[in-house]
Amino acid sequence: MPDAPAADDAILTSIVASRLKSIGQRMGVVVERSARSPLLVEGRDFSVGIYDVDGTLVEQTEYIPVLGYATTPGMREIARRFAASVKPGDVVLHNDPYTGGNQLSDWKVTKPVFHEGEHVAWVVIVAHQADIGGAVPGTYNPHATDMWQEGLRITPVKLYDGGTRRDDVWELIFGNVRLDVVADDVTAMIGACTVGERELGALLRAYGTERYRQAVAGLLDAAEQSAAQAIRSIADGTYRAELTVHDDGIDHTGRWTIRLAVTVAGDHLTFDFAGTDRQATGYINTPRAVTISSVMIAFFMIAEGELPHNDGVLRRIEVLTPEGSLVNPSFPAPTCFGNHVADQLAAVIMLALVEAVPERVTACWNALLASTVNGVDPRTGRPYVDILLNACKGGGGGTFGADGYDHIGLIGSGGAIAAQDPEMFELVNPHLLRRFEYLPDSAGAGRWRGGLGVVTELEFLDDGAEASIFGDGDLPETAAFGILGGTAGSINEIQFTYPDGHVHRPRLKDLVSNIPRGTVYRQVAGGGGGYGDPAERPRERVRKDVRNGVVSAAQARALYGMTDEELAE
Amino acid sequence: MTYLVGIDVGGTFTDFVLVDEQDFSYRAHKSPSTPADPSQGLLQGLRELAALLELELADFLRQLTLIVHGTTVTTNAVLTGRGAATGLITTEGFRDVLEMRRGVRSREHLYDNTYVAPAPLVERRRRLPVGERVDAAGAVRIPLDEAGLEDAVRALVDDGVEALAVCFMHAYANDEHERRARAIVERLAPGLFLSVSSEVLPQVRLFNRISTTVMNSYVGPVLRRYVERLVSGLDELGFPGVLLVMQSNGGVATPELVSRLPASTVLSGPAGGPVAGFAHARERGAVDCLVVDMGGTSYDASIVKHGEVQTTREGEIDRHPISLPMTDVLTIGAGGGSIAWLDEGGLLRMGPQSAGAYPGPVAYGRGGEEPTCTDANLVLGHLDPDFFLGGRMRLDVDAARAAIARRIADPLGLDAVAAAAAMLEVITLMMAAGTKDIALAQGFDVRELLLVAAGGAGALHAGAIAEELELDRVLVPRLSAVLCAFGMLLADLRHDYVRSYSRGWAEVDPAHARALLDEMVATGMAALEQEGTEEADRSAVATAEIRYRGQHHEVSVSFPLEDLSPAGLPRIEDAFHARHEQLYGFSSRGRDMELVTLRATVLGRRPRLRLHAPPGDGAAPPRRRSREAYLRSRRALARVDVFDADRMLPGHRVSGPAIVEGVTTTLVVPESFDVLVDRSGSFVMHRKGLEELL
Repeated sequence: MPDAPAADDAILTSIVASRLKSIGQRMGVVVERSARSPLLVEGRDFSVGIYDVDGTLVEQTEYIPVLGYATTPGMREIARRFAASVKPGDVVLHNDPYTGGNQLSDWKVTKPVFHEGEHVAWVVIVAHQADIGGAVPGTYNPHATDMWQEGLRITPVKLYDGGTRRDDVWELIFGNVRLDVVADDVTAMIGACTVGERELGALLRAYGTERYRQAVAGLLDAAEQSAAQAIRSIADGTYRAELTVHDDGIDHTGRWTIRLAVTVAGDHLTFDFAGTDRQATGYINTPRAVTISSVMIAFFMIAEGELPHNDGVLRRIEVLTPEGSLVNPSFPAPTCFGNHVADQLAAVIMLALVEAVPERVTACWNALLASTVNGVDPRTGRPYVDILLNACKGGGGGTFGADGYDHIGLIGSGGAIAAQDPEMFELVNPHLLRRFEYLPDSAGAGRWRGGLGVVTELEFLDDGAEASIFGDGDLPETAAFGILGGTAGSINEIQFTYPDGHVHRPRLKDLVSNIPRGTVYRQVAGGGGGYGDPAERPRERVRKDVRNGVVSAAQARALYGMTDEELAE
Repeated sequence: MTYLVGIDVGGTFTDFVLVDEQDFSYRAHKSPSTPADPSQGLLQGLRELAALLELELADFLRQLTLIVHGTTVTTNAVLTGRGAATGLITTEGFRDVLEMRRGVRSREHLYDNTYVAPAPLVERRRRLPVGERVDAAGAVRIPLDEAGLEDAVRALVDDGVEALAVCFMHAYANDEHERRARAIVERLAPGLFLSVSSEVLPQVRLFNRISTTVMNSYVGPVLRRYVERLVSGLDELGFPGVLLVMQSNGGVATPELVSRLPASTVLSGPAGGPVAGFAHARERGAVDCLVVDMGGTSYDASIVKHGEVQTTREGEIDRHPISLPMTDVLTIGAGGGSIAWLDEGGLLRMGPQSAGAYPGPVAYGRGGEEPTCTDANLVLGHLDPDFFLGGRMRLDVDAARAAIARRIADPLGLDAVAAAAAMLEVITLMMAAGTKDIALAQGFDVRELLLVAAGGAGALHAGAIAEELELDRVLVPRLSAVLCAFGMLLADLRHDYVRSYSRGWAEVDPAHARALLDEMVATGMAALEQEGTEEADRSAVATAEIRYRGQHHEVSVSFPLEDLSPAGLPRIEDAFHARHEQLYGFSSRGRDMELVTLRATVLGRRPRLRLHAPPGDGAAPPRRRSREAYLRSRRALARVDVFDADRMLPGHRVSGPAIVEGVTTTLVVPESFDVLVDRSGSFVMHRKGLEELL
């Protein structure tokens, strides 16, 4: 190529940035198309990253935001441990929350990328696995009091060494998980890394290591500048809020309070969780990787403009997490529910910043309540695990200028968990869906209303299944709150109606075993919180919701103050 | 004298390409579109063409043997929400699936809480659930509630719907209830436009099937009305020839057949580009090519492999999934109207925001204030302010320069020329990266493909893209600005069929699979027969969708029908493993495989046009005058010769740096390239020193 003209560095950086983005996307497509677990293929519960040799995040293609920045601490650890021994063709596997991981079930697969014999980058996929051994198939063990009861702990280990699979390691690891789908999903992740390695190799051949490194440095600097500018637009000051997390699986009435002080000082931002409650006995502890990632989700939602997502941004943002607290637990506390505390972490940040940036925050999103179901499919005789993805996606919070998203799912996922196709769901699980629809009157009222929740009913076609329940938000006080006059969304609910007519309502963290065939499972994922005074909502929008049956006439009168004449128009 | 006309009805202009059947000479014409009733603009344009030939319209039409046209009527109906009032009848419990899609938020809007997804094509009050249920194995669990269905149809008719879609759970596995529903709807409301999912898209995945079925109904009445008006208008005027419509899949079909599957036309307009691009590439002996079309707001790239336009079944329009085959086009937000801006980190960016046609670039003087790619082209002398569209529109170069200075040059500490050059550099590199991407995604090194540049702005940037991608040559068809309309004339007839055929690879009975494919092929052949295709010109392609057991997505493998035999199956299997490895970085030979879907595509070959331009006379290429233009290679303005593109003839050669400028097309020839006008009249821009034949 000819020498580029003036503004050379900036342009090179722009180009390399766009190339890295497309490489990340292509890696994501490989996982989505070639993996087996519905969570990856249908839900896209994974994230892709391109890292510098030292584990600095250069480009992130996050399909699920909570996995994005949460990958970085682990990558730094991997980079450090293998600095001396890394070779082309290596594949490293990792999941351990106490060496930088975020959740035992989120496995990282990474490959180094070499150019002209020199190690230049890492490409990584982190993805939720269908099973990781441990006491409960599908991971979520509400009775766990330490990490070993949750699943297999994998500190950074080479799965491939110089292009050769280490069969002994492979067998050790996959001999400790229940489902063969996990080995296949990891194979697909390795395939994606191979595709990323090929593509990044082509980029390096085109530009050379030196110019690539220049561009990467430029990319990090540009992200830092963008972040600084975004922070400057928020008024200086310290803003505080707190929010509770309920039930750690051991103490079902327990409450843990997250306390947050956000300090804006010029172009620096500090999120200080000092005063947050000590870590819990049960699995609701949130590794620091998740806490950082949750902060970044809220920050990117609040920040004006489109920011690059790399470690440059973090040069302007400090996250303080007291050791031994709920948001930075000490070894060997169980942590498998921690990813989902992202819901409360993002919400507490929004709440703290209502005063500072009222037009940028959102009302609360519905917090997760979910079930992981395992059993044996009578059609095939094979075991299955399913997370009932669609059933747990409640409504998003309203914001200035827009209603919350209907049936969007957790804020921690940025609402990016794709829905599972209902027909594919029945093809892969022995469940017959009876209902999967928006839940009328579930959205919090407001000038901009919350998103609608969803109701799911399904019949078990298999005998003896087990469900692990994990979540929050089953009380009016833990439903998605409204802000600036908006009201709360509806609550979450799960119930089992057995063939004999008996109804069982499990606790927030619970195990329900020996579910008989013919049992009807009903789950409601509640709506999001409303933003602003409902009386200010344009009457035509209320009427439209009433016409479409998502807001009842009674609610239109009670919450929006609609008169009969206004309703009749 | 007899003629053929290709017509591309766009939002602003309707493009015409007229071919003389005797000597295969061709010419282009542009006429304003009439969005309220596009058939009016089309007929008006034909009138203008007649006048150009100094013929009465009736005489001209009598000499027309063929009109092929692509239309944005269905595209626009979707984009503007002006399709038919449509009702949806679906399985009780699944009323909202259409609106839920796979999620309302795409990856591009991860952190944008104010993003509002396009509204569903059918709002909730017109999505009525009916009791019935078929399970995944195709067994009826709940019989169809016929009384409930009748009530729903009546309610929707009372509500004023003009079209109806019926989509039930697992109807691809058992269509009994949908067939019954069709009979009831036809009895109660015979006038409604009806689409039934097991006919439109008999394959698993409710989100896609329901969306595609609804789309078909939503655009159905619109397309039908349009086609009826056009046909009757042409009939009244005494047009004796054949009328064909371009489909999204890159093939054409008769209005009757297209009206039955209107959703097959939602990407009709751009589908002509790759076809025409390949026809030109073939003249130069190429088997594969990459066609890029740069217009006002976007840059569309698509690949033609072994002469076949590549299609995808995972298209969407305005976030509505549509799973019928459509031309696989990679679109990036880079066009003449792309706006330059500095991001928070001070990086120069181009687009994706575009000034569009209104207000357009600053230089148009229509109130645009944001500097665009076109403004940069003007400041750098690549465009002539006095010769834009042949001088029909004057451009304001001072305003363009001032805008670039204000928004880009001053903040970056550059002069306006350097800033404009940087703008072009960024957009060139974006286009080059996108071009390379689509090539890689299809398994090509971009240098293996002949690049064909089209669109109003394609020729301006083709040289820089070629330099960037280290290509030896780029082809700029003479009518590159109206290439899609040209493509309409060159496309084959095409029909696609699909059948669900789900079983383990070991259980595949080749004779049974063959029988299913034979049936689909026979249906297609009958359609071609009806459309008047000679038997010798008909062909079929069979495709199987295969995956490893447990995967959710399939890999497509095409094969000759004879391979559905005990001896042939291993060849299909080998092809599958190889394709999997290429796409996903691994294959798992020895693992159980599953066949999921069988597809057939039938093609009716249309007579090839021999592209032809009047021969050269041996004189020197006609020169206009020279002007100052920016050269990438020197990073500076330099005096450059300008040639008259419209008067250049086969055999003319021009050496770069140069500008070759016509009424609709301007080529910027880099210093390292030369240009030759080939036998068909195309401009072949090629690296200096390469032997290039006429």
